[in-house]
Amino acid sequence: MSKITVAGVRTNVQELLKYSNEEKKRNFLETVELQIGLKNYDPQRDKRFSGTVKLPRVPRPNMSICILGDQHDIDRAKHGGVDAMSSEDLKKLNKNKKLIKKLARKYDAFVASDSLIKQIPRLLGPGLSKAGKFPTPVSHNEDLTAKITEVKSTIKFQLKKVLCMGVAVGNVDMDEEELIGNIMLSINYLVSLLKKGWQNVGSLTIKASMSPPKRLY
Amino acid sequence: MKRKVGALEKVDADLPNLQHKIKVDPISYQEDFVNQYGLYTSIHELFLTSPTTTDDTGLVRLRDLIDFISHTADCYPKIAGSFPNDLIKLLQLHHATLDPELRDKIVGSLVLLRKKDMIDSNTLLNTLWPLLVSTPSKSLRALLYQKIVSDLRNSNSKTTNHKLNRSMQTTCYNLIASDPASPKGIWAVKLTRELWKRQVWSDAKAVSIMEIAALSQEAKVVTGGVRFFLGGDQEREEAADEESDQEEKNISMGKLRHQAGINKKTAKRDNDLRAAAKKVKRNEKKKGAPHPLNFSALHLLHDPQGFAEKLFQQHLQPSQPKVRLNLEQKLFVLQLVSRLVGLHKLTLIPLYSYFLKFLTPRQPSVTSFLASLAQATHNLVPPDVLEPLVQKIANEFVSEAAAAQVASAGLNGIREVCVRQPLAMNETLLQDLVQYRKSKDKGVQMAARGLLSLYREVGAEMLRKRDRGRDAAMKVRSGEMDGARRFGHVEEGGIEGLELLEKWKEEQGQEGSEDEAAGWDNWDARSDSSESSGGWVNVESEGEEIDISDSEDEREKGAEKKRKMENARVKKAVGKENVDEDDKPAEKTPAKLEASQRATASLEPAAALKREEARVSTLATTRILTPADLAKLQELRQSAAVTASLPSAKRRKLQQDAAAKTAARHADDAVTAVDIEGLAKLSHKATKEEKVRMAKGLGLPNGATEDAGANDHRSTTARRKEKKAAEGKSTTNREKARKKNFLMTLGKAKRKGKRSLGETAKVLKAHVERGKRGGRRGNK
Repeated sequence: MSKITVAGVRTNVQELLKYSNEEKKRNFLETVELQIGLKNYDPQRDKRFSGTVKLPRVPRPNMSICILGDQHDIDRAKHGGVDAMSSEDLKKLNKNKKLIKKLARKYDAFVASDSLIKQIPRLLGPGLSKAGKFPTPVSHNEDLTAKITEVKSTIKFQLKKVLCMGVAVGNVDMDEEELIGNIMLSINYLVSLLKKGWQNVGSLTIKASMSPPKRLY
Repeated sequence: MKRKVGALEKVDADLPNLQHKIKVDPISYQEDFVNQYGLYTSIHELFLTSPTTTDDTGLVRLRDLIDFISHTADCYPKIAGSFPNDLIKLLQLHHATLDPELRDKIVGSLVLLRKKDMIDSNTLLNTLWPLLVSTPSKSLRALLYQKIVSDLRNSNSKTTNHKLNRSMQTTCYNLIASDPASPKGIWAVKLTRELWKRQVWSDAKAVSIMEIAALSQEAKVVTGGVRFFLGGDQEREEAADEESDQEEKNISMGKLRHQAGINKKTAKRDNDLRAAAKKVKRNEKKKGAPHPLNFSALHLLHDPQGFAEKLFQQHLQPSQPKVRLNLEQKLFVLQLVSRLVGLHKLTLIPLYSYFLKFLTPRQPSVTSFLASLAQATHNLVPPDVLEPLVQKIANEFVSEAAAAQVASAGLNGIREVCVRQPLAMNETLLQDLVQYRKSKDKGVQMAARGLLSLYREVGAEMLRKRDRGRDAAMKVRSGEMDGARRFGHVEEGGIEGLELLEKWKEEQGQEGSEDEAAGWDNWDARSDSSESSGGWVNVESEGEEIDISDSEDEREKGAEKKRKMENARVKKAVGKENVDEDDKPAEKTPAKLEASQRATASLEPAAALKREEARVSTLATTRILTPADLAKLQELRQSAAVTASLPSAKRRKLQQDAAAKTAARHADDAVTAVDIEGLAKLSHKATKEEKVRMAKGLGLPNGATEDAGANDHRSTTARRKEKKAAEGKSTTNREKARKKNFLMTLGKAKRKGKRSLGETAKVLKAHVERGKRGGRRGNK
């Protein structure tokens, strides 16, 4: 395809939403994913990129989050109905690699209090950063729920050992405008990350968890 | 009868002749071949009974026969079927005692048989590889190594021979894994490195061979593996560059065509031309082809964390060392470990305390240690483990008493650490270190300034008020700096300079879809046209066609929309938002905007500043940035950076340089000792000898040729004169006159004083006349 237009994205999003919400409604909340294929990209010379960007809407509201915090933050977490662990709980893991791995797998993201976060590498070792889930700091005078939404709406572009990647940019419950906004922002951000802009983009596809893929570019 | 026998004998003696004849006509010379083959078998058997005692003539005969048969065996595969196996057995059993020439001949013959497809690569490599590893003969090893590499390259030249590669890689891996303490593993390392460089092996399996090599227990194998990770990729890149350079040099289509035009037309010239054209075409295809996926070795590691941990434990802090590495080798290992830690953001807390004992100015190659430390730092390292290190560097290196070079190295080291983890610095220390910008020594001064400018960006509130500078002070006051200095905080990326683009668009008053379509106009064509040699394909018109197909209706709507918008704009004051909608009527815009604003406002109950930000990002959420937009963005970003730092031309240049340097730095890049030494050469004071050399224009003795002009302290005239002489230019009349021997001018000078009044008048008149004429030559 030679280019990408807003109208094209819109029709694709409409079709996608129609398929997932009307034709084949599933029993769970389908996530919409943006899949990216790169081209003319030499991972050795062009230096691998990575970046995070905050989307206007939360793409995956059901993300599970754990608070690692001091007493104040645990209380706040309990108040908001979020899982929480204290430093004693973490010490109980005893640097056991398997337990830490299990913990990392159980949650999608972590938030830690400012006072605790500096000890995380000592307490838990490399387990969390290995899984790419190093906690985000939160201080006492920040709003915890706002922080959690912020964490939930932040997506990460990171190139691994292949030249393609996928990021969750929304779900089928969102309305058309919201979804388009999220998709556009992620595309624009991605392109601004790339050295040669659009010349590095091979393909862009959107896809809900169980829908056929729709090619945007 | 006798004559016939003589002829036969002649054939017998003249094997090359027979070989040639067989190649031309194998069927009719079959009998001769069978004869020779029989002869070979008998000599071979004789040889096998007593391999060591065979005399010279027998050896020579055997050698000649082996040569002959290996060249012709492919014509009679049935008769010579067992020949390759014979050779293999001979080589395997007797390689140690064989006559060197015969041995080399057998190896060469085996390779030849491989080329003729009598045996497959696997058999050949399985024969040669164990020999390479076990033989004591140096010359044989060199030969075998070369043959193995070339065979692997050949069998991978057209397509990757995965099967062969895998078996060979497994052999290499097992060689090291089975006996980590033996020095034989060096061959696996050597082979892997060579094939990596040639891009024959570029997968994770090859990397795993090097991984196990680096963890082995033999110093040479360890350094081989470690060096591969540190420099193998660069080597590969250089090799690739060289290759492409050569390709470009080899073919010059225009030159060939020209030659064909002026020279005599022959079939050979025609063929040359055709071959060249083919090559050009192939190369162009290669250029257009997708990049081979050459990930760097460090990225292909399976488990970087485990690897780094093992390396560190085995080689750097072993309780009972299995390998004794010298300092240089240890430094290599340390560099690799720190590289891994920095690149993959690993957590390896004991590494930092390990550095502590090496950070003294007396430590040999301490700058490499400083560089490694900087390399091992990243934003997820707890600041409390780094703080003592920074403190120690400051105490040991940076003091008034320390030599200038030492101080500047220390300051540079601290800066490199703090670039990666700004939290490693405490306030008092920073304020202390920044004072060194008043130092008399240039190197120290620059290093301290580097630290200062770094903290102006990342932590201005730690600096004293008067050190902050205008921009940073303003930022601190407006509260922009908050939050950046928290451990574990990940900077959220935005599209840099987007608000500039939006502003620019507003000023231009551009709207909607038309300009978007224009932004896409032949952007691809631009990249294509450089590749298509003919230039016949009119890509532009093609692009136009595509445009029409999917944006014609859009355009109509756009026009319609514009009219509506004009009406609407009169009413609404906020109509300036550059919102681009394609198939919605314009009336919907304000509602949509409001909705989005409401949503963002509920998301963030923060200040008006944030709402402003959200408003700005409408561009990113409602439009797709076209290539033209991206180009403009880049331009705006640059110009903004320039105008922000106007003060003086010199400072601006410095700032730009620094910015370019930091922008160019990436986690993938290594920090080297050179970065730490950096400006240390500014602290260097010239000795008398050096000054004399510079005054003579000889430059500095030890290299330092990168800026020859700086070390040439001669007068401008002297330099200019030398330049002129070097260019082979002649002198002017004035120069000649100036140079003329004084005694020769003396007569004229004397005469001048004794001139009569008439003569003087004449001379003066002539002078005026000459002026009017326009000089002696009268060139007006």
